[in-house]
Amino acid sequence: MADTEKLVFMVLHGPAHPEHATLPFVMGCAALASDVEVVMGFQADGVELVRRGGVDGLEAPGFPPLAKLMNDFRELGGKLLVCGPCIKSRGIAPDDLIEGAEVVAAGRFIAEITSATNSLVY
Amino acid sequence: MPATITESELAAITAAKVVDARGSACPGPLLEAKKGIGGVSVGSILEIWSSDPVTKSDIGAWSAKVGHEFLGVLPGEGYERIFVRRGK
Repeated sequence: MADTEKLVFMVLHGPAHPEHATLPFVMGCAALASDVEVVMGFQADGVELVRRGGVDGLEAPGFPPLAKLMNDFRELGGKLLVCGPCIKSRGIAPDDLIEGAEVVAAGRFIAEITSATNSLVY
Repeated sequence: MPATITESELAAITAAKVVDARGSACPGPLLEAKKGIGGVSVGSILEIWSSDPVTKSDIGAWSAKVGHEFLGVLPGEGYERIFVRRGK
C-alpha cells in the first residue's frame, strides 16, 4: 500500500450527459481537497469534455458549471489522461485538448488503475 | 458528526478567518474550506458560511479525514456557520 491514497475516475460520458459528466469532477475535487491523489481518465464520449471549449456552458442542475469544476480540479493538482484511439476516431487532435491533458493508451490506464486505492467508472 | 464544544462556546469564538460560501453548490463549500484553512495557522479556527444544509456533514467528514477538528455549527439567517480548528 502506497503512503498516498489515489483514486482513478474513468469518465465515459460527454456533454450529452451533463450530470454524468459533472459527477466525477465533483468527486475528484472533493478527493483532492481531502489530500487524495486523483487521476481522471477519459474514454469514449468522455474525451469530448477535454476538447478545448468542450464544457463551455455545460451545467448540471444542482452543481457548479463544469468549466469551473475542471479549473478547480486542475488547480488542486488533478491529472487528466485521455484515450488516444478515442480522440483519433472522433477527429480530435492532441492540440485540440485543454492544457494539461495527456494522451495515453490502455497500458497507462491499467498502470494507473492497478496502482490506485480504488477506481470508479462514470 | 458530533460537535466537540457547546453552542455558547461556539458563539464566543472569533474565527481567524471567515469563508463565505453561501449560494455555492457541492463541492464548492468544501473547496472554499480547503482554500481557507491554508490561510489560518495551526490551532486557529476557520468559520465557513454555507446555505447548503449538507455542508456541515461534508466539512465534518473532511475534517476527520485530513486531520482538522470539527467544532460544530451555529445557525445563521438562512445559512449555517461551521467552525473548524486547523490541526496540521
